[in-house]
Amino acid sequence: MADASRQRQRDVAVLGGAETEIVPEDLRSIPEMVLEAVAGALDDAAVQWEDVDAIVTASVDLFDGLTASSIAVTEVVGAVLKPETRIAADGMAAAIHAVHQIAAGAYGTVLVVAHGKASMAPHWDLTEWAMDPVYLQPLGVDFLTVAGLQANLIADSNRVGRCASLGDGACAVVLSSSVPSGAAVITGTGHDLDAHYPGDRDLSTWSGLQRAAGRAYEQAGVRDPATAFAVAEPSCMFPHEEGLFVEATAIGKNTPLSPSGGLMEGTAPIVSGLTRLLAAARAIEGNPGRRALAHGAWGPAGQGHAVAIVEAT
Amino acid sequence: MTAAKPELVSVTLDLDMTWRYASGDPMDRFLNGVAKGRLEALRCPECDTRYLPPRPFCGRCNVAMDEWGPVSDTGTLIAWTVVHLSIIDGRTGEPRPSPYGMGLVQLDGADTTLNHYLDTADPDRLSIGARVKAVWRDELRGAMDDIIHFEVVP
Repeated sequence: MADASRQRQRDVAVLGGAETEIVPEDLRSIPEMVLEAVAGALDDAAVQWEDVDAIVTASVDLFDGLTASSIAVTEVVGAVLKPETRIAADGMAAAIHAVHQIAAGAYGTVLVVAHGKASMAPHWDLTEWAMDPVYLQPLGVDFLTVAGLQANLIADSNRVGRCASLGDGACAVVLSSSVPSGAAVITGTGHDLDAHYPGDRDLSTWSGLQRAAGRAYEQAGVRDPATAFAVAEPSCMFPHEEGLFVEATAIGKNTPLSPSGGLMEGTAPIVSGLTRLLAAARAIEGNPGRRALAHGAWGPAGQGHAVAIVEAT
Repeated sequence: MTAAKPELVSVTLDLDMTWRYASGDPMDRFLNGVAKGRLEALRCPECDTRYLPPRPFCGRCNVAMDEWGPVSDTGTLIAWTVVHLSIIDGRTGEPRPSPYGMGLVQLDGADTTLNHYLDTADPDRLSIGARVKAVWRDELRGAMDDIIHFEVVP
């Protein structure tokens, strides 16, 4: 008997979404920047504030320099006197949380919002503090260093010489149990968190993504990932990660990767995965039966992975 | 009798980082007004609530606000407490001298309350509903502590 949790869940529609332009420094405050994305998403989804039953936000205290960093956005995400959940991980993980809320029947329509401002503090310096304080922080190990370890394991030519340009941005997506005709629906999700200590993992693969994608494929009924997707939208911050992504998801060489442009030209921490979900949904909307794969990642060298399969109705 | 447990090794990490917060349009205007001794609130066009401190968006009505109105530096004490614990002052890194008073003040011209210090020279005068007035610094810099504290109006 199949594990009940892996059975296909209730379809959840991506009603709409919006993102702010990624800029090296957005001079607006966090709530002003987030409001642009939220207002744009509600408009794009053709829903009103009162149609939103619950809110899931993604932000990281360390990056914002705030404890409970969602307090900056409570009003502008419409969470006053409503249920709000904050996820301290990439926006795709927040989207998956919202999908579960809807699939469980807890809420009908959920707004997912992610924000990040890399301009507020030196980002890679901050990531050092996300590492274990006993064995890693005293050595100054940060996310960039671990990405370098991973890049050199894969191929000599894939040294970390280039990284996605990090800036400021926000993204908001409206998910709902009501599915308009032609809408993109999320038919499968998967999520995985690998060991934190880099030495405890096989850094030559994104095995966490392989497990996350496997769970999503099982839910969505994807049997041959090499031919299943019209588009894949990965969250790759470094060039070497594309190879890891293709191998872990088994999407094959012919699936178009990041036709929307991907993250290399600019992204914001925490926001990336949610923008991939939006890009994947937009790529297939109106083409019934077409599928796309969207991916979010977080932590050192892809410790956390989240995958959503979207399919056009 | 059991032997005392030996002390475990502890690792000390000194973390030092600076984050820069963009204040946003309403806070920018508010603090520039404070630098001139002027207090202003933002009014919600839907529910008419006059917010002080001002913020860009009314969370009750889900609507942006851009209508400013003047606020007096005199108001009513809605809640108060006297803190006797020396807590670290985020601005200086040093313990804040205690005791000090902390209150929620509804200034005339605002519908929400401002969180600020209270003069505790005569704590017996602090009471809910008391009329209080801002005591300003001699030199204003456009910061929340340009008001030293609120004192009960005689």
